[in-house]
Amino acid sequence: MELARSARDGDESAFEEIMRRYSPRVFRFASKFFKQRSLVEEAAQEVFLKAFTELGSFEGRGSMEGWLTRITTNTCLNLLRSSKRRPELTVSDLTEDQTDWLDKNLTDAATEQHQSTERSLVAADLAGRVLQTMPADDQLVLTMIDGEDASVKDVAEMTGWSESKVKTQAFRARRRMREAVEKLLAGRKGRRQELGSARS
Amino acid sequence: MRDEHIISLIESTSLANLSENELALIRVHAKGCATCLQAFEAAQVSLLLLKEQAAVQSASDLGPSPFFHTRVLAALRERQAVNDTWAFARLWRAAGALASSMVATVAALAFLTFVIPDTQVATISQASPNANSYSAEEVILDQAQSDDVSDSQLLTTIYDGDEEAR
Repeated sequence: MELARSARDGDESAFEEIMRRYSPRVFRFASKFFKQRSLVEEAAQEVFLKAFTELGSFEGRGSMEGWLTRITTNTCLNLLRSSKRRPELTVSDLTEDQTDWLDKNLTDAATEQHQSTERSLVAADLAGRVLQTMPADDQLVLTMIDGEDASVKDVAEMTGWSESKVKTQAFRARRRMREAVEKLLAGRKGRRQELGSARS
Repeated sequence: MRDEHIISLIESTSLANLSENELALIRVHAKGCATCLQAFEAAQVSLLLLKEQAAVQSASDLGPSPFFHTRVLAALRERQAVNDTWAFARLWRAAGALASSMVATVAALAFLTFVIPDTQVATISQASPNANSYSAEEVILDQAQSDDVSDSQLLTTIYDGDEEAR
């Protein structure tokens, strides 16, 4: 609180200290939404610029960490909203590695087997591509709740949404993601059948 | 449960948070329902994708670069400078409106004080010789237009009465 007060009064070194303390967390959080380092840095910079201008609204009731997390969430959401959404993803857009990954997981969908680092990277990339076709709010709830196991309450605190809004958003997001993946799987199954009949 | 589709169940919460009983129910239902089986498979793949993404991101753990703080402070100063310029521009615009209205008022007052009275004096001084030149004849004798009347006749007409009275 003392640091915040000093920074609000124009003490640059106090603000620098706030950055030094909280930037790792801000970076960690922003990197959940952006893969490119430049985008993560851009988001983090915007977070601290916003934080500086809004220091007056920080009353010290909650933790500064929580306050900065909320700013980070909203900044990332705004950046995601302003970035162009990719059109629908089809099987023909996928790389060979990604189609292989789908094939492997289609035959053994029920098992969450441990995957090699390389296959994990392929999956993460594919997840990113699917998420990019979805609205920013969907990306946020899916990444946080299903990916990171965050609770509905946590997401509500981060975003400032009500818990019922988070639940509804997550329900819709899961449906969209499932439908997108279902289309990819159906496309992949169809292609395999075509290949099989061509061979026979 | 056998007759109900399980799609809403797999969407209401993360698959990872479903109990063993719920998962067993879903599996039993999915065996006899192709639509739900497809949805369940897709939900499992979705969850796996999201988990892999989270794992990869936490492993890569991007931290701030060494010059991050310096860059933010520079951006902050730049933004403040722009804000200051805007604040000055706003002040200037507000003050400019006030100053221009004051200048207009002073100019109007100066015009009323110096230019209008001069014009009136000039008009009066230009107009008075003409007025004097034929006012006496018009008013008293009503003979100003008559070229037959000489000056001596006029004087006689004016002053004869006075002399008779004496």
